[in-house]
Amino acid sequence: MTKFIIRRLLWTIPVLLLVVLFTFLMMRQIKGNPFRKTERAVPASIQRNLDRKFHLDQPWYVQYGEYVKGVFTADLGPSLVLRNQSVNDIVKSHFPVSLELGALAFLFAIVVGIPLGVLAALRANKPTDYVAMLVANIGFAVPSFLVATLLIYYCSVKWNIGLPTSGWSTWQSKILPSIALGFLPMAYFARLVRGTMLETLQQDYVRTARAKGLRWRRVVGLHVLRNSLIPVVTAAGPLLGGVITGSFIIESIFAIPGIGRYYVNSVTARDYSVTMGLTILYAVIVIFANLVVDILYGFLDPRTREARA
Amino acid sequence: MSVTPQQEEFRERAVLRDASADGTTIRQTSLWRDAWHRYRANKAAVVAAVLFVLMLLYVTFIPIFPTGDPYAVDFAQAYLPMSWDHPFGTDQFGRDLFTRVALGGRVSIGIGFAATIAIMGIGILYGSISGFIGGRLDNSMMRFLDALYGLPYLPFAIIVTQLFRVVDFWVMVIALTIASWFTAARVVRGQIITLKENDYVRAARAVGARWYRILGRHLLPNTLGVLIVFVFLELPGVILGEAFLSFIGLGINPPKASWGSLAQDGRDVYLSHPSIILFPSLAIAYLIICAFFIADGLRDALDPRTRET
Repeated sequence: MTKFIIRRLLWTIPVLLLVVLFTFLMMRQIKGNPFRKTERAVPASIQRNLDRKFHLDQPWYVQYGEYVKGVFTADLGPSLVLRNQSVNDIVKSHFPVSLELGALAFLFAIVVGIPLGVLAALRANKPTDYVAMLVANIGFAVPSFLVATLLIYYCSVKWNIGLPTSGWSTWQSKILPSIALGFLPMAYFARLVRGTMLETLQQDYVRTARAKGLRWRRVVGLHVLRNSLIPVVTAAGPLLGGVITGSFIIESIFAIPGIGRYYVNSVTARDYSVTMGLTILYAVIVIFANLVVDILYGFLDPRTREARA
Repeated sequence: MSVTPQQEEFRERAVLRDASADGTTIRQTSLWRDAWHRYRANKAAVVAAVLFVLMLLYVTFIPIFPTGDPYAVDFAQAYLPMSWDHPFGTDQFGRDLFTRVALGGRVSIGIGFAATIAIMGIGILYGSISGFIGGRLDNSMMRFLDALYGLPYLPFAIIVTQLFRVVDFWVMVIALTIASWFTAARVVRGQIITLKENDYVRAARAVGARWYRILGRHLLPNTLGVLIVFVFLELPGVILGEAFLSFIGLGINPPKASWGSLAQDGRDVYLSHPSIILFPSLAIAYLIICAFFIADGLRDALDPRTRET
């Protein structure tokens, strides 16, 4: 097991290098330059100094090497547009908010989605099942910006139950955005759990457990649920990554000072270093989520330890 | 040698031919007719298919016979409520929303299908090379794919759109394709690897069939069922991705509009005029639910694994 974890950890290094290389090369291809706007043309000497300051006068592989060094020492460089702000500053002050939002949304998805799926599977093809699956299908299909808008419209305006619709300070203000962001993974978990549970319920060992007189509640808790949750773990990694990296819509609707807004702004302002730094941050999150899932999976299902590295 | 499904089918056909010789007409059943029967048995899938066709008819014909000019700006007509003349009302510039949603649907559905087909194309190419050749090449190609899974989906798509000066229909297709072809490649490779071990492939090899004949005649046609299901599973993700990018203003540039950018138009006025964000968003949800149930029915009809049980 330790060997498996170490191999899996080492594997993230080339993955990260490749992702950084991709992002780096793509960013270099983007046309335009924050300093070369026609209305803000600067003398050639200042241009040279700017280029030197941001290493723009070096060949690309030197820039890449510098950048990789920065990534591994957790230094993502200065912002090209925001004066006196480094990408690290932006990450430090705004990333915790995004992380908290993602975590709360994910918590909502698990706490609501899994019981919903279990309930639907145990009452398969009965009204409970239909209602649960209706909710899940709606959650799957309705884009999150509509979910957010409807939540604001009904919870804060129409019925006025006193939940703030913007900001990120009190716990009340965190409820609506977390639900809006967690709605899709919630629906996903519900559908997934229902499907795998229906499959597990038909296994021989469930019948055996029933036949030897084990109580139904115990059968479900001990045999069915445990085996049904393995696919959930597999799905959880990409979903968690998706929730954190896809939060910029929710952040902009609820005016949350998270990292997503900076990401979108940096793209429109052509602030390469911020775009690139945040993309790599997102990639690190995705890679990390996948890593955790793989290791968890190794614990849950010993067969995968040998097969994967 | 064991009896392959093909041989069995051949034998059954011979029996059917003989049976019809004595005057009673027995229709031969082909794979596709079989699938069609199974599909029709799934009522939700049939309803979804009908609704899907209705949506296609709506986006095709409403712009040809519009209920109002979708481009003419007339502030006297702004924010009209729903009526017979304007079934969805009008937007802030007095443009007919019913026609605009149809036009947006052309863009959204068009991007959705074009990107999905491109994803399938790349997936088939990459997956069949990797799965068919196998060995070291397969191993390194899959490792490369693993690394790409570290890329965050939406941020990566955003970066790709920034490589182009103007974000138009095809740029969106390219961006969404580049950001999400990995799963398709994995699915195809998995299929090819399992099919490769079948007796009929060995038999074909034994009688001296060339590799392109084995691939084109035996392997790829057998993956077709899974791929058709995959198209409808992939479509919702692509359409949602496009809607997200357009909603935050990084999608297709005006005056062209997709469902996502139409929803964005209604974002600031959702308190007073909720219909403007509602109708495009509901159109997205409608299409995704249809695609979902169609995929479900197609899987029952075409996927050989569920067919055997």
